[in-house]
Amino acid sequence: MAIRELKVCLLGDTGVGKSSIVCRFVQDHFDHNISPTIGASFMTKTVPCGNELHKFLIWDTAGQERFHSLAPMYYRGSAAAVIVYDITKQDSFHTLKKWVKELKEHGPENIVMAIAGNKCDLSDIREVPLKDAKEYAESIGALVVETSAKNAINIEELFQGISRRIPPLDPHENGNSGAIKLGKAGTQASRRCC
Amino acid sequence: MCSPQEAALLRLEEVFSATLARVNSLVFQPLLSAAPEPSEPQSRECLRLLQQLHRSSQQLWEVTEESLHSLRERLRHPDSTGLESLLLLRATDHVLQLHIEYIESYTSCLVVQAFQKLAKRRSEYWRGQRKALRQLLGGMGSEGSVGPALLQAFRQPLTHHVQQYVLLLLRLEDTVPEYHPARELVVNAATLFGNLQSFMSQALDQAMATQALWHTLSSRQRHVLCTPAHRLLQDSEDVPVTVTPLRAERVMLFDDALILLQGHNIHTFDLKLVWVNPGQDRCTFHLLTPEEELSFRTKDPQGQAVWQWKVTQAVCQALRGKKDFPVLGAGLEASEPPACRCGAYTFHAEGRFCQATYEGEWCQGRPHGKGTLKWPDGQNHVGDFRQGLEHGFGIRLLPQASEDRFDCYKCHWREGSMSGYGICEYGTDEVYKGYFQEGLRHGFGVFESALQAARPFRYTGHWEKGQRSGYGIEEDSDRGERYIGMWQADQRHGPGVVVTQAGVCYQGTFHADKMVGPGILLSEDDSLYEGTFTKDLTLMGKGKVTFPNGFTLEGSFGSGAGRGLHTQGVLDTAALPLDPSSTCKRQLGLGAFPVESRWQGVYAPFRDFVGAGCPGDLQEALLGFQVQSSRELRKSQDYLCCERTCPEDSVGTIEDILEELLQHREPKALQEHLRKALSNTLHPLGKLLQTLMRTFQATYAGVGANKHLQELAQEEVKQHAQELWATYRGLLHVALQRKGQAPEEDEDAETRDLQVHGLMLPLVLPSFYSELFTLYLLLHEREDSLYSQGITNLSLFPDTKLLEFLEVQKHLWPLKDLTLTTNQRYSLVRDKCFLSATECLQKIMTTVDPREKLEVLERTYGEIEATVSRVLGQEHKLPMDDLLPLLIYVVSRARIQHLGAEIHLIRDMMNPIHIGGLYDFLLTALESCYEHLQKEDMRLHHFPGHWDSRELW
Repeated sequence: MAIRELKVCLLGDTGVGKSSIVCRFVQDHFDHNISPTIGASFMTKTVPCGNELHKFLIWDTAGQERFHSLAPMYYRGSAAAVIVYDITKQDSFHTLKKWVKELKEHGPENIVMAIAGNKCDLSDIREVPLKDAKEYAESIGALVVETSAKNAINIEELFQGISRRIPPLDPHENGNSGAIKLGKAGTQASRRCC
Repeated sequence: MCSPQEAALLRLEEVFSATLARVNSLVFQPLLSAAPEPSEPQSRECLRLLQQLHRSSQQLWEVTEESLHSLRERLRHPDSTGLESLLLLRATDHVLQLHIEYIESYTSCLVVQAFQKLAKRRSEYWRGQRKALRQLLGGMGSEGSVGPALLQAFRQPLTHHVQQYVLLLLRLEDTVPEYHPARELVVNAATLFGNLQSFMSQALDQAMATQALWHTLSSRQRHVLCTPAHRLLQDSEDVPVTVTPLRAERVMLFDDALILLQGHNIHTFDLKLVWVNPGQDRCTFHLLTPEEELSFRTKDPQGQAVWQWKVTQAVCQALRGKKDFPVLGAGLEASEPPACRCGAYTFHAEGRFCQATYEGEWCQGRPHGKGTLKWPDGQNHVGDFRQGLEHGFGIRLLPQASEDRFDCYKCHWREGSMSGYGICEYGTDEVYKGYFQEGLRHGFGVFESALQAARPFRYTGHWEKGQRSGYGIEEDSDRGERYIGMWQADQRHGPGVVVTQAGVCYQGTFHADKMVGPGILLSEDDSLYEGTFTKDLTLMGKGKVTFPNGFTLEGSFGSGAGRGLHTQGVLDTAALPLDPSSTCKRQLGLGAFPVESRWQGVYAPFRDFVGAGCPGDLQEALLGFQVQSSRELRKSQDYLCCERTCPEDSVGTIEDILEELLQHREPKALQEHLRKALSNTLHPLGKLLQTLMRTFQATYAGVGANKHLQELAQEEVKQHAQELWATYRGLLHVALQRKGQAPEEDEDAETRDLQVHGLMLPLVLPSFYSELFTLYLLLHEREDSLYSQGITNLSLFPDTKLLEFLEVQKHLWPLKDLTLTTNQRYSLVRDKCFLSATECLQKIMTTVDPREKLEVLERTYGEIEATVSRVLGQEHKLPMDDLLPLLIYVVSRARIQHLGAEIHLIRDMMNPIHIGGLYDFLLTALESCYEHLQKEDMRLHHFPGHWDSRELW
């Protein structure tokens, strides 16, 4: 089975639980090779998808406002972006919209966007209605799920959803999808414009 | 007891001695006293020959006396003195040698009729001596003229004496018992003197025939051919032979030369340089000489056999340099002359070699092996020859108009013309080092002027049929300019880039050495001119100027009557500066010179060498050689022997190189082997790398250290790594093939890239690093300076203030690491927190290998995590929200200079396999720290200290 490496970047305000989602996703590892990680900042996990294996290379980003301008370095060359907000914080949903806008403008072409409304276990203090998120996601053509890293809700589904949205490898098309074939040199080597 | 034969020998010697004495007083003295007229070279020659004969005669007389003495001793004390004490038996060879010398001297006189000529001068005297002569000859003398009488006087005593010797020795042999110790000596002496008889009779026959020959020739021919050394061995008058293509009327074989008479022409062939080859049928055979191929044809097979045998034996004898003993063809050595010989010859036929003298080794009529060619005009060639042509290493000197000046070509030759690597030092002090083909510069080469030349230049690049053609770099140090680009017919032609000392650089299409037409020009202040250029580099017609501040001026340009640029156009001050770095980081030459074909001329000889299966005889032609190139050497005329290091001496032959290659194929050993090979300039890989380094320096060092060339340089380095790997694979392929082993499977593109980036690139990068890093340094100068301001500012912050300023969460602060002295507060301590990570990160500067740099980065992260885990007392996985501020802290404390250049170089040289992976992530994190540190608040924010840091500014 062919392994495809997929770079996924995590965006969202600080404190919304970006890395918790990934930690939860990666925790019950079925990856036999122990992949090196950088704390909770860089993690990998391989999942089967159809007749391919998808190896997610998950890049965390710093959510603080002052680091916002550094984000392009992290999301360049990404196949997918997981944009996380906290359903209990309206502000974090605003930030999410800003990220979406930026990705549309400056992000890689055909990037798969997945919106994760985290902390769904705290729906009693919800500030962002699921309907709002769904409508918004639909308007931008993004995937949306409410997740709980704490209770492991919808985490697998989130990444399965991303997997499904990755266009299958077409040998004739040198993927703009941001997917990197394992060991394949630089077809995707994203040269900066300058 | 003495035998009667010994007594007889004694008497014989007594008689011979007396005869010699008489001949001396009666004949030699009067003859010698007849001093020749100085004007007559002929009679002087005769006198010389006679003197020689006289010396031989004296020696013969002395040895006879000695022999006589030994016989007397023996007869006096027969019991105490053994038979073997006789000189005749004890030193037979010596006695024999003196006899031979006498015969040679005598026959020489005979050939030129020396006696007759000398006797003629005092004929009166000799007439009076006729009686005495007759008495001397024992009444056998002729009645006729004096000449023949003299001839007999010199010969007859010797013939008689030798005859008696043989007789007595044979008789003695019979009397000596079978096991007598001296018996062998006696047998030997009898045989040798028997042989001497044969030798003498053959020598006399040859001399008589030769003497007789002169009368059958015209006086002119006689004048040329009549020399005392000539002995006629065969004459076409006796056994007819026809020679083609010369159509000679007469063929004469002498013992040192073959003479063909054709009309007035006399063709002489030195036998040492004659090769005999059999013909198609039994009546012909062929002779090879340096300039002629002759076919000899006789009437019948017998005639052919006689001629072929005689010529063959004469050649053998000539090569041995002494007469065969006892008769021609009876030498002990092989009777077939060797195909390869040494000799000297001056060429006469029209052509390159006309008038040139070759001295050295020959094979089948052609210079073959080591030799020297000298032309009368002072041209010289020393070196290897093959089948008549320069082939292999050779040094050619061409004299220049001024006497002390030479063009000196130290070069490899192939079938008569320069081919392969060579070094040429010209009389003008210009030097070319590079490849040749068919005598002309071809392929890659460096042509350089003398250092002190009025207009110093250096061209590093491609040549075609003696002209600059293809990609090449020309340095004009006088104007401080470097051209990087395409050439044709010795002129800049096609796409090219010029960089100047002043900082201006331009790119466009060149015609006849000048840039004309569309192009771009970058001025030193980062203004960009785009449009159509005239020969003097001014914009003409439609064009656009982009100023460093982002303003653009677009319009129609022209050079008006006044000075400066005239334009009608629109100055757009509102145009957003798209990207301030677009002009200052603009890269030149991209796409104009595809990196795969840029240095073809360097790669190609190696590829061809490998493709041809690494022929050992071409090893040096490929790898070149180092020679001591000192001008002093040339003056002292020692130029023709150059001390050159042979590859065989230091790395061994190509066989050894390939063997070594096969023994180091496991990854670890391979890496070590490649490292060694690449650092040895006599190894194909090392030589290739060295040449590539030279081209790289020629392009990017000095004036070429220009930020606009960074991209060109970095792609070149990667291409070089790829080519070096391909060369290694090629060598491996040949090595396996030679062992009869199956070749390795062809690598797929992925494996190859893995090896190129994982193995080869790190090994070759150090060779290009300093030039390459300089380019990155210049390109990222501006960012690096902002970053530098950032870290300088932050360095004023005490640790806790900095952690606070960077908003590192308080629970992650390693306050335990701050050891305080009295009166110190946390807020004042600097450079203590995360010290291990900081020190680790600084190691990034200690290596050039991108992979090692990335490993340093990984370890730095490890140190940060370890410190945090220690602070928290448990393992802690840092999310980016926490990690980034900490990393910024560590980066600012590590104070690495030119971090921007470092990061970009690592990224460009990083193995592409890491894209998207861990290393990419770490590098991106580092880059984001670097970007962050350039921000205004990092550079300008003053920490709110209780003491004013402003004082420091």
